[in-house]
Amino acid sequence: MFFKFFTPYPLLLLFTVLVSPRLAAAQEAAIFTLSGTVRGARNEALPGASVAVPALGTGTAADSLGHFSVSLPAGRHQVVVAFVGYQQLIRDLNLTKNQRLNFTLEESGNELDEVVVEGSVTLEQKLKTTQMGVEHVGIREAKLLPALFGEVDILKTLQLKPGIQSGGEGTSGLFVRGGSSDQNLVLLDNALVYNPNHLFGLFSVFNSDAVQSVDLYKSGFPAQFGGRLSSVVDVKLREGNRQRNVATGGIGLISSRFTYEGPINKGKGSFIVSGRRTYFDIFTRALNRANEDDPEYSPIPDYYFYDLNAKANYTLGEKDQLFLTGYLGRDIFGFNSTGGFDFNFTWGNTVGSLRWNHVFSPKLFVNSSVTISDYKYDLTNKLDQFNFGLGSRITDYSGRTDFEYTPNDRHLLKAGAMFTQHKFGVGRLDANSSDGRINFGSDINYYGLDGALYASDNYKASEKLQLEGGLRLTGFSSGNNQYGGLEPRASARYSLNDRTSLKASYALMYQYVHLVTNSGASLPTDIWYPSRLSVKPQRSQQVSGGVSFLLGQGKYLLTNEVYYKWGQNQVDFKDGAQLFVNPELDAEFIFGKSWSYGNELYLEKKSGKTTGWIGYTLAWSWRNFQPQRGTLGVNNGTDFHPNYDRRHNLTVVVLHQLNARINLTASFIYTSGNLTTLPLGRFGVQDIPGSGNSLDPRPVPIYPDRNSYRLIPYHRLDLGVVYKIGSRLNQDLTLSIYNAYNRRNAYFVFFDTVKDKATGRTTGFQAKQVSLFPVIPSLTYNFRF
Amino acid sequence: MTYFTKAVSLLLLIALAGCGSLQNDIDVPLPSYSSELVVECYLEPGKVPSLAVTTSVPYLGTVLPQIPNDVTVTLTMPNGTVVPLPFAPNYRALIDTTGEKFYSHIGRDPLVARPGDVFKLDVSDSKGRHITGTTTMLAPIAIDSLEYKFNDKPGSERKAYVLIGFRDPATLDNCYRYQIHKGDPAKGALRRSPEVDNSVQDRLFNGEPILLGTSFRFSAGDTITATLYHTDIAFFRFRQSVRDARSANGNPFGQPSAIYSNVQGGIGIFSVLSSTQATKVLR
Repeated sequence: MFFKFFTPYPLLLLFTVLVSPRLAAAQEAAIFTLSGTVRGARNEALPGASVAVPALGTGTAADSLGHFSVSLPAGRHQVVVAFVGYQQLIRDLNLTKNQRLNFTLEESGNELDEVVVEGSVTLEQKLKTTQMGVEHVGIREAKLLPALFGEVDILKTLQLKPGIQSGGEGTSGLFVRGGSSDQNLVLLDNALVYNPNHLFGLFSVFNSDAVQSVDLYKSGFPAQFGGRLSSVVDVKLREGNRQRNVATGGIGLISSRFTYEGPINKGKGSFIVSGRRTYFDIFTRALNRANEDDPEYSPIPDYYFYDLNAKANYTLGEKDQLFLTGYLGRDIFGFNSTGGFDFNFTWGNTVGSLRWNHVFSPKLFVNSSVTISDYKYDLTNKLDQFNFGLGSRITDYSGRTDFEYTPNDRHLLKAGAMFTQHKFGVGRLDANSSDGRINFGSDINYYGLDGALYASDNYKASEKLQLEGGLRLTGFSSGNNQYGGLEPRASARYSLNDRTSLKASYALMYQYVHLVTNSGASLPTDIWYPSRLSVKPQRSQQVSGGVSFLLGQGKYLLTNEVYYKWGQNQVDFKDGAQLFVNPELDAEFIFGKSWSYGNELYLEKKSGKTTGWIGYTLAWSWRNFQPQRGTLGVNNGTDFHPNYDRRHNLTVVVLHQLNARINLTASFIYTSGNLTTLPLGRFGVQDIPGSGNSLDPRPVPIYPDRNSYRLIPYHRLDLGVVYKIGSRLNQDLTLSIYNAYNRRNAYFVFFDTVKDKATGRTTGFQAKQVSLFPVIPSLTYNFRF
Repeated sequence: MTYFTKAVSLLLLIALAGCGSLQNDIDVPLPSYSSELVVECYLEPGKVPSLAVTTSVPYLGTVLPQIPNDVTVTLTMPNGTVVPLPFAPNYRALIDTTGEKFYSHIGRDPLVARPGDVFKLDVSDSKGRHITGTTTMLAPIAIDSLEYKFNDKPGSERKAYVLIGFRDPATLDNCYRYQIHKGDPAKGALRRSPEVDNSVQDRLFNGEPILLGTSFRFSAGDTITATLYHTDIAFFRFRQSVRDARSANGNPFGQPSAIYSNVQGGIGIFSVLSSTQATKVLR
């Protein structure tokens, strides 16, 4: 039953329809293909690098792996290869046959380029691409911007882009165009990362020394991506230096990093190994030791997290290359008392991928990969003679293959297939006593199979009109439940003139796995649950349109996009849902619909001594959950906003190079406050006889409609200075000032009970606002040897 | 190293002190709130039926409990007899510290109740607010074992844990609340706050023997009394929703919960307590 979704015929049919007439057309002209890769001196792929022949007014951009392919007439050409932050390369060639060339660009020695905001594409390329709703952040850009505790976080940099919201103060969770944080497909070198957060979302798992770049798609999703409704976060790791061994690192306020990279077998390959560890625990242990004689002192539990990244690549021959990526990250929280109470809580991801890149011909190449993704948490609790354990885990084994074919300069065809086997450990519980009197365990596991086929064509109909169409066929099976669907994708660009483009896109997405959480925040105890029984796949559709203007002699790009997104089978949970170790978890879900719409205005500047961007988003997000399954739904079935609905969002980011040694940066953000639910009323509960007296019972809050109270607006200014030191400018001191004017932003609001100090009796109630971070300066030392 | 440790400790202390100022009093203009009747009625076989009727209030309103005096209460017995429970509040319980519970209405005769008996409650006031509820007495579950075991520590550190054992019936959705009181029952110990008060449901061990334990917290010579209440899922959910609603206030990760009452027309719980007890002196 499941495999019926994967019969190859629809895909082949589509592929044939798209390809056949174009192949015939291509054979009529004396056109050859120039193909190859564009890489930096450290062997890093340079996605978006332009490969142009100015005399012909034609060219292309390297894809996410640095591959390019362009069709040119036979003859002599001057090819210009360029990428922001790298020296331009000009090569003369005589094209008499299909030819493969690999270009290596040297990093620019001009410090001016160092501060240029690194983008995958130039502003002109952004103007002309059909892809809309994509944000790219390079790690060099992220490293220049001020960061909380000095911890460079590429996901938080994304939050400064329009249409992408954070979950709350300081958190790296992403809420894209009204979607929830579990509706983001987070990929690390093609492998899925289920929980991209450390410390309840305050930091992402991506070590800035190991990451090269991240692309976030929020609309117009390419057909090769699927499985989540709201966004694709495609993180690429660096590939290591093929020329020489290099050590880089940094010592910061709360963590240190070290990375080592170098060539393998005389430059046939390269490797990179990178690690990061926080040291809160070293300080808290010291504090605990200093107070161990104080009977009133409560020891602070240990907490730290670490990440290990490794990647290697090896060129097997002119046409084959292997890439191996591994990631291991853990958060460790522990408390061991002398009074018989021990508590240990560990969570984290393990990710691995092996990719084989094979070039069949200058026009056709394939990437095939196998990946493993694993996320788990383990909670163990020991109280005297009793042991209690709780855990959850999800493990994926995946394989995929992606073909890319460029028959001529008008078409770029992509097709591929992928398959994933999931194991959902939604609840493991064990309880026992050391004397063996109590021994109880429960382990609930489900399995799922996930597969997809896709094909797409980027078709340059004319100089003015470019179209991209794709179709993705997906299916999912868990137990006796099978689901499937067709996901059409389409986008178009029409150039009114050289400086103005109109764009539009449509995408349909299915999501077959669901995050089980009752919290607005990202918690390590959140578990993933497959579509099965009453839990149907989530589905969403999005249409978007936009206009882009190239202004100021190409220095500025002004983009305005509008979108409307609507979804079915959105999930939420019953009040008081029992989410832990529940063999009938599907009964705790409730289902509804969502819709969101908004306008995103974005002005960016990428060249000159002063660069940056201004983004403004005006947006609405809605949800509706009708009464169902013995509940009143949410808010009695009326429309409501999710807590991350924010009407206004303004970001201003400025980077300025003062001189060769000093870069100044500033970012300002203003958003409408988060929505929250405050109690309107209260009552008292005495409880049954034998539960104490009736004196001053603790109030029970009565909550009105969900998310009916909006917190005060959030605004914050961060400032940063990067001061390069050393004769080779290979070290720097980075000063970040988070929340420079010490704004007391609201993290949450609650009602406190006011007590009489003498009698201990309640005398009143007071609303209190809790803020998380005051002004936080931090200094980080970074080096590269 | 010592200087380093001290310096870091000082920095942390400064940071923690700074965190204190991150909590500020604010004015929150709450919209108007219409109060509801709140009922708590726990019937017990052999005891005169009583209940507390109060009203909910705006959160930032008056502190003292609001006890309406215009409320009429009737209890319908399993045989259909309607018994009025007159308004006769024991206000002294509101300042009592010995564990006496407040009631606003009380009947005259002790309750006769057997497992399977169905009772109905009707509460109404002069403003037109009207609460109804129905509950069924469940069969008490016998405590099969009440055991304890001391650790090997000397003197005052010598403590015992307690295990309470019983068997869950084969039917699903049985819930239990168990309390362990310390002290002499004859001197009112069972009215005071218990040492242990937990609830479980049989979701994961339906039909099996259940053994529940405490930490090492009891001393030699302690008299302990275990009370095992057999409750229905509605009572369990009410308590759970009360707990969730309380914990969501002040917890940025908490999801506010509606109160799952088992009465209609207002807020509250109506239940017949079905319990068994066992007492033991630890030696």
